[in-house]
Amino acid sequence: MRIIALSLAIGAATANAQTQAPPAPGPLRPYVFPQVNQFQLANGLKVIVVEKHNLPEVEGRLIIDAGAQREPAAKNGLASLTGRLLSEGAGDLSGAEIARQMDALGAQYQTGGGYSTSFADVVALKNVFPQAMQLAAKTVISPSFPANEFTRVKNQAIAAYQQSHARTSGLANDAFIRAAFDTTAPFSRPPNGTTASINALTRDDVVNWHRTMYAPSAATLLLVGDITPAEAKSVAQQAFGSWSATRAAATPISNPIHTSSGTRVILVDRPGSVQSTIIVGQPGFQATDPDYIPMLALNHVFGGAVSSRLNNNLREKHGYTYGAFSGLDLRPGAGLFQMSSEVRTNATDSAIAEAISEYNRLVSETVPAPELQGLVNNLVSGFPNAVQSVQGLSGRIQNLIVWGLPLDFYTTYRERLAAVTPEDVRRVASSKLTPNNIIVVVAGDLSKIETPIRARNFGTVEVWDSNGNKIR
Amino acid sequence: MRLRVLAVSLLCLVAANAGAQANKTQAGKSPELRIDFTRETLPNGLNVIYHVDHSTPAATVLLWYNVGSKMEQPGRTGFAHLFEHMMFQGSKNIAKGQHFALLEAAGGRGGADINGTTNWDRTNYYEQVPSNQVELALWLEADRMGTLLNAMDQAKLDNQREVVKNERRQSYDNQPYGSWLEKMGQALFPEGHPYHHSIIGSMDDLSAASLTDVENFFKTYYAPNNAVLVIAGDIDVPQVKQMVQKYFAPIPRGPKVPALANTQVPTVIGHQQRYVISDALAPAPAIYVGYRVPSAKDRRAAAVSLLGDVIGSGRSSRLYDALVRRQQIATNVNAFNLGLADGADELIFIATGKPGANADSLEVAMMAELAGASSFTQAELERARAGERFGFVNALQTTGGLGGRADRLAEGWTFFHDPNHVNKVLSEYDHVTLDDLNALGRERLVPTNRAVLIYVPAKKTASAETRTP
Repeated sequence: MRIIALSLAIGAATANAQTQAPPAPGPLRPYVFPQVNQFQLANGLKVIVVEKHNLPEVEGRLIIDAGAQREPAAKNGLASLTGRLLSEGAGDLSGAEIARQMDALGAQYQTGGGYSTSFADVVALKNVFPQAMQLAAKTVISPSFPANEFTRVKNQAIAAYQQSHARTSGLANDAFIRAAFDTTAPFSRPPNGTTASINALTRDDVVNWHRTMYAPSAATLLLVGDITPAEAKSVAQQAFGSWSATRAAATPISNPIHTSSGTRVILVDRPGSVQSTIIVGQPGFQATDPDYIPMLALNHVFGGAVSSRLNNNLREKHGYTYGAFSGLDLRPGAGLFQMSSEVRTNATDSAIAEAISEYNRLVSETVPAPELQGLVNNLVSGFPNAVQSVQGLSGRIQNLIVWGLPLDFYTTYRERLAAVTPEDVRRVASSKLTPNNIIVVVAGDLSKIETPIRARNFGTVEVWDSNGNKIR
Repeated sequence: MRLRVLAVSLLCLVAANAGAQANKTQAGKSPELRIDFTRETLPNGLNVIYHVDHSTPAATVLLWYNVGSKMEQPGRTGFAHLFEHMMFQGSKNIAKGQHFALLEAAGGRGGADINGTTNWDRTNYYEQVPSNQVELALWLEADRMGTLLNAMDQAKLDNQREVVKNERRQSYDNQPYGSWLEKMGQALFPEGHPYHHSIIGSMDDLSAASLTDVENFFKTYYAPNNAVLVIAGDIDVPQVKQMVQKYFAPIPRGPKVPALANTQVPTVIGHQQRYVISDALAPAPAIYVGYRVPSAKDRRAAAVSLLGDVIGSGRSSRLYDALVRRQQIATNVNAFNLGLADGADELIFIATGKPGANADSLEVAMMAELAGASSFTQAELERARAGERFGFVNALQTTGGLGGRADRLAEGWTFFHDPNHVNKVLSEYDHVTLDDLNALGRERLVPTNRAVLIYVPAKKTASAETRTP
C-alpha cells in the first residue's frame, strides 16, 4: 500500500511535467460502402445483392412483410409462431429431416418473425450455399405445419415467454412497450405473444396466416457475401422462381403512442432480485424523420458508446452497474428512444435519478463541441468495422427496407453524420425530448425498492403485474 | 462447439461476427484457408505477430497475457478479472476514462471492437480501429503495460470492485440457473486445483482485494515476456514494426513467471455426483451435466468438440431429437466445452425443461441419451464436422473479437508456441474418425466421470406468484 502511494506521487509529479500526447492518426484509408444491386423475379420477388468476396461465405435472408404488426390483437404471437414453424416440415420432408439436411451442409438456418417482418435466414459456406438456399426456399413456399410440431413449437414459444419473464430485463422491456404505446397499437404487444395469447393459437391460424400473407410480391431476398450478381440470379431463380402465391394489398398500420401528461413510473415485482432493470425513455421516433441523423448523434452523447455520459456516470463514477447504455429502437411509424441498465438493488432509486438528470441535460445544455466530435467520429469511423461481416451487412440492408429508407442511404451516411453540430443536437433534443413527460420502468424486488423510489417523486407511480395489469 | 463467450469481460459481450485467402471448396471438405503471418521476438521477450488483410480499412491490436484465474491465490478468487478492469483505469499518460474516450473517438466500437476478457487460462485486451489509428492503440497498450502503477489509487479500485460485483450479480446471482458454471468447476476439479474456483470470484474475495494485490499481480504477470502482441488487418508491416519498437521495446523484461500449480487430474473422476438445487428464479427445471474430458492442448481436443456437437448442438443432435422433438419434455438443449488448456476440460450438456415438467423425468430422459454416447454414425459425425467448419470460417470474418483472426493467432502462440495453429484447426476436425469419437465417448461419458446439477423451481408463496389474466 505504501509503495503504491509513493509511486502515485511520483507518477503525478511526472505527469504534470511531461505527459505524452496521444500519437496523431495516419492518413485515412478510403472506404466505400459496397454496391447494392437489385433485380426482380417474374413473380415479383425483389432480390438485393451485396458482394463481399474475402471469405467463402454467403447469407441468404428472405424477409416478408408479415410481421407481428400485421397480426390481429387476438392472435398475438401468430406471425412469430408461423415463422418458427417453417423449418419444422415442408413438402414430404419432416422437421427432423430438414434439420439433418441443413446441418449436413453446415448451414445455419433460422426462421421466425419480429414486429416488422417474418424471415428465413440461411448462412453457409459458398460451396453448399445454393443447396441450402433451395432447401430454405422449400420451407418458405410449401411448409406442412405438422400437427405434432405445431404443439411442440407452441409450447416452446410459451416457455420462451416464461423464461424471458423470469428475468428483470424481460419484465421491464415488456412493461415499457405497454406503457409507451396505446393498447390498440401492435407495438404495445410482445412480438412473440404472451402465455395466454400463444395458448389460444390454433394450427388453422398458422395455415391461414401463411396462405394469406406469404407471397413473393411482399418479400425481399437479400443475398450477401461471396456471390456475384450472375450467381445470385441463378440461385434466386432456382430457389424462388416457382413461388406463385399472391396476396391482397396490405392495409396501413397504425401504432398510436400512449399520451399522458407528466412522467409515469411503472414498477414490476420480481422478488429476490439483487439487481433491478431500469429503463428510461419515450416513444415517437422513426428513421424516415429528417432529423434521424442528428438523433443518432444525440443518442451517442447520451449512451450509445462506452465513453458516453450514461456509462461514465452510472458505472465509472458511481459504481451502480456493470454498464448503462441507450439506443434508438427504430420501428416503422414510431420507435423508441430509451436507456437501460441493470443496477444494484440498493442503488435503484439513485441510478434512476442520475439517468433522468442526464436525460434533462440533453435538453438544457448544448453539448460541448469536442465531446460531440469524438462521439460522432465513433459512428463515422467505426462504420466499416460494423459491416465487415456478411451478417453486419445484411442487417444494415434489412433495416433500410424495414424502416423505409433508400438503398443508397449508406453512400452518404458518414458525411452527413460528420456534419452534425452541437446546435443540431440541441435543436433535436428540444423538439423531440420531453424530460418532464417520460416513462420510467423498473423491474426488481419491490419490497426493497418501491419505498425509496416513491420518496423520490419522479412522477406518478403505478405497480403492474407481468402482463401489464395495474395492481396499485 | 467450444464456447468462447464464457470468458468474463470488461463490457457485456455481444455476439461476435467475424480476410483470409480462400480457394474453392468441395462439399464435405474443409475450405483451403490460410492466415498468413510473420512473427518476431523483441529483446525484452515480447512476442509480436503480424497478419495483413486489406479487405476492410481496419486493424486489430490484441494482447494475450499468459495469466488467468488459474493463477489466483487462495482467498483472491476473481482477482485476475478484477485486475483486468484496473487496466482500463488509466496509466502514466492516460487519465481515467481516456482509454475508451480516445479509442471510441478514433472509431473503435466499445464492447464489440474494444474490450478485455479474462478466462481460466489467459487475459486478453483488444481494439479494432480504423487502420490509420493503429499507432494510438499501440501507444495505449504500451502505456498500461509499462506504467499502470503510476496512476493506480484506492478510489479506482473501489469503483471497479463495485462494477465487478455488479457484473457478478448481472451474470450469475440475478439469473435463473446462474450458479451452474461455478458449481460445475467445484464438482469436476478437486479443491485446490486451479480450475476448481470460478473466474468471477466470490463477493468476499472481491471485497478483500487490495492495492498491494494489484501491485503484486502487475509486477508478477504483466510484463512483455509474459505476453503476445498481435497486429492484424489493413497494415503496412515495416511501418507497424517501427511503432512496436518505439512503444514496446523500452518496457523492461519482468521476472520469470512462477510455475502453475499441478493441473494433472485422473482421466476419470471416479465417483458419481448429483446435486439438486432449489432455484427461486427458475420458471422451469433444468439439468446441467458436466464431464471431465481431454484439455484444449490434448490431441483429442477436436474430438471433444465434435462429441459435444453430435450429442447436443443444433436441431439434428441426439438430445434435441429425443428430448425436444420426440418426447417434448425439454424446450431447449445445448452442448459445448469450455476449452480449458491444462490438465482437463469440461464438456457440458444442458436440457431446459418445459415449464411444469417433472425434473426427475427430465433427468431420466437425459441420462438415457447420454448412456448411448458411444454408438455414433458417420452421418452424425459429418454433420458435426460441417458445423465446426462453418463456425470457424464465420468467426474469421473479422480480425477482432473472440475467435477472430488476431485472437486465434495469439491462442496458437500462447497454448502451442505455434502461431500457425490457426491453419491446422480445420484439418484437426477433418482427421477425427468415427472410432475416435466412439472411443472418447466410451472412455469419458461414464456416470463416474460426471457431475449432474438439477435445478428445480423453488415453491413460491402465493403473493409472489405471477398473475395471469
